[in-house]
Amino acid sequence: MNPEGYRSRLADLDARIGKAQPPPDIVLGQASGLLAGRAGCRLGEAHAYLVRLAAEQRRPAHELAAELLAALEKEPPRGPPFVSAMLEAALRPAQDQAAPAPAPRPSSSGEAWIQAVQQILDGLAGRHVLLIPRYTATGQVDDYTFAAASPAVLDLSGRSGAQLIGHRMSEIYPAIVDGPIWDAWHQTLRDGLPRQIGPLPYLSPAERAPAEILLTVKVWPVGAGLLNSWIRHDEETRLAERIAQTERLGNLGWGEWDLVTGQVLWSDGLYRVYERAPSEGPLSREETEALIVPDDLPVRARAAEAFGRGEAVDVTYRIRLGGRIKHVRTVVDAVRDTEGRPVKVYGIVQDVTAGEISRLRLTEAERQLRAQQQSLAAEHRVVTRLQQIVLPMPQEPIDLPGLRVAVRYLPAEKASRVGGDWYHATPTGNGNVLLSVGDVAGHGMEAAAAMAQLRHGLAALAVTTTDDPGRLLTALNRLLFADGHVAAQPNLLPVTATAVVARYEPGRNRLVWARAGHPAPLLARAGVTVELEQPDGPLLGAFPAAEYPTTVTSLRPGDVLLLYTDGLVEQRHQSSEQGLAPVLAVLNRITAEPAPHPVADLVNQLDHANPDDDTCILAARPLGGPSPAGGP
Amino acid sequence: MEMRTDEVLQVTLRGEIDFTNSTEINKRIKEAVTEYRPAAVRVDLSAVTFIDSTGVGVLVNAMRMANAARSEFRVVGPNRRISDQLRTMGLLAAFGLA
Repeated sequence: MNPEGYRSRLADLDARIGKAQPPPDIVLGQASGLLAGRAGCRLGEAHAYLVRLAAEQRRPAHELAAELLAALEKEPPRGPPFVSAMLEAALRPAQDQAAPAPAPRPSSSGEAWIQAVQQILDGLAGRHVLLIPRYTATGQVDDYTFAAASPAVLDLSGRSGAQLIGHRMSEIYPAIVDGPIWDAWHQTLRDGLPRQIGPLPYLSPAERAPAEILLTVKVWPVGAGLLNSWIRHDEETRLAERIAQTERLGNLGWGEWDLVTGQVLWSDGLYRVYERAPSEGPLSREETEALIVPDDLPVRARAAEAFGRGEAVDVTYRIRLGGRIKHVRTVVDAVRDTEGRPVKVYGIVQDVTAGEISRLRLTEAERQLRAQQQSLAAEHRVVTRLQQIVLPMPQEPIDLPGLRVAVRYLPAEKASRVGGDWYHATPTGNGNVLLSVGDVAGHGMEAAAAMAQLRHGLAALAVTTTDDPGRLLTALNRLLFADGHVAAQPNLLPVTATAVVARYEPGRNRLVWARAGHPAPLLARAGVTVELEQPDGPLLGAFPAAEYPTTVTSLRPGDVLLLYTDGLVEQRHQSSEQGLAPVLAVLNRITAEPAPHPVADLVNQLDHANPDDDTCILAARPLGGPSPAGGP
Repeated sequence: MEMRTDEVLQVTLRGEIDFTNSTEINKRIKEAVTEYRPAAVRVDLSAVTFIDSTGVGVLVNAMRMANAARSEFRVVGPNRRISDQLRTMGLLAAFGLA
């Protein structure tokens, strides 16, 4: 016991937390220390007991402590009678004032001290019983009676301390009679000296108890009886194992800083966190603080302030150990006296480096995601630009031989879905007109690249090779099927596409067309719209030698032909009939009466972008007024 | 997605098949076909509610891989909408649905 040390450590702590506190109560510390020394309990237990007792009596703890000190200092310790006298003197107010006196037993002058012992035991951790010897007529001790017991007493058969009181040892624990513990009690009664027996095995007669347990028994003479403490080693071991395992699993350590004694205790786990051998002993507070990464010192300082306000602290900071950085989370709380001054500081320290690293990786992943989103936006800009270059969209209808055409490209509302829809409308050189729309599966750069390839391929083939829609699609299919980049990037899907290609022959008012997996064109005539009967023809890029038969439809002035990609009618959560119905309604309405600008009206009225998919529409009407086929 | 292999590689797809999951499905079918060289590949679409053009691309590629490995290829159980889509795309016969 060193009250000066306690005072200086408190002062030190006060200085740390930057908060002035009244000087420490030395008396309480002294009394705790003396009581602990005399009662053979731990200092913390004695301290807690005094504080609790004072609180129960609604008195300042130091006052009670002063009384105890006075009693203790009057006489030097010299045996059982002193202890009982001291306890009676010091604790009499407790008996008078404490409201619920425990175990009201038949009162006699000889039993008052037993009640006092019971009160002390009530405040103690651990398993302690007070035994009173029973004497035979000849003055021999033949048994012991349980006179008081601490709350933690719970024997192997499940009996609590209260259930033991008043019973004899031989009826409760017959196995003890005449054994080594029994002999030790006898000896202590004779010579007045405390003893420790064990660890020794105890065989329990109770069936549901462990067959054999290891016990250490400590015996002190108290008054006319014996104070007996049981330490069960199996439990101790289990508890220690459990704590050790918890520490290992949670990367946890536990430390205790006793401000009264100055003692610093570290658990094995805490040594692991600080990568120190237990034989080296714990680091001082100054040494642990020196390990903190300077950038994190303010964090630690704020925590100390909170601690000064009496708050529990939970803080994470970095320490540097052997050139590596560790993230440690520390939860600090204190046992405080009745006036709020810390007596003991406890810290649970957790190595959260792994968690912090995951968190940092997550942050990095988020950063990459943002970068990728930016690159998606960049890709979208490129694709949009590419679309504009490859596929210039005339805002006004264009006039081709015998045909007026309006086109509209509606990019997907969601930027990431912009992709590979295209159209083509051009004279073939022999008086005919080639019309086409197509749709490359997928979105983004790849789809846009395939779109460019198909559209330019079609334009080149139409000029150099053929204007037959079936033969053109056959060629585009070969082009796409043989596409080399698939082999280069094996996890990419081969590109597929759909398209419809039509050749309008103005002189014959007919449309020759073929399709490759694409919806058939719609033909609106005088308020009635039909989907053209579709020839066979699989999508492009699926089969090496697909055939695309053509079919012929008459197309007369006044008719409106609509080629479209499925973005116009396909919505994820509705059927294609549901999607097609409004388009048919617009076509019917526009062609019901002759109108000056039907194709422009049509593309304007169908100008609703699909959220998920590009849409390309091409509307065409034969020129020459609503005259019969073959007219001037 | 679920795969079972003995003589037949049985691929069961569920939910919506679109550009968000097509690459992964394609990869797994490709690995299974390469590893097991099944006599036949069967893709069950009865639990699929939606398929976009990229999803159809997965089926087309499964068919191409099966053909290259001389395995029979079949798609079973498409709902009416998917069946219409496959008809428009000219795939019913090749998928054993005609």
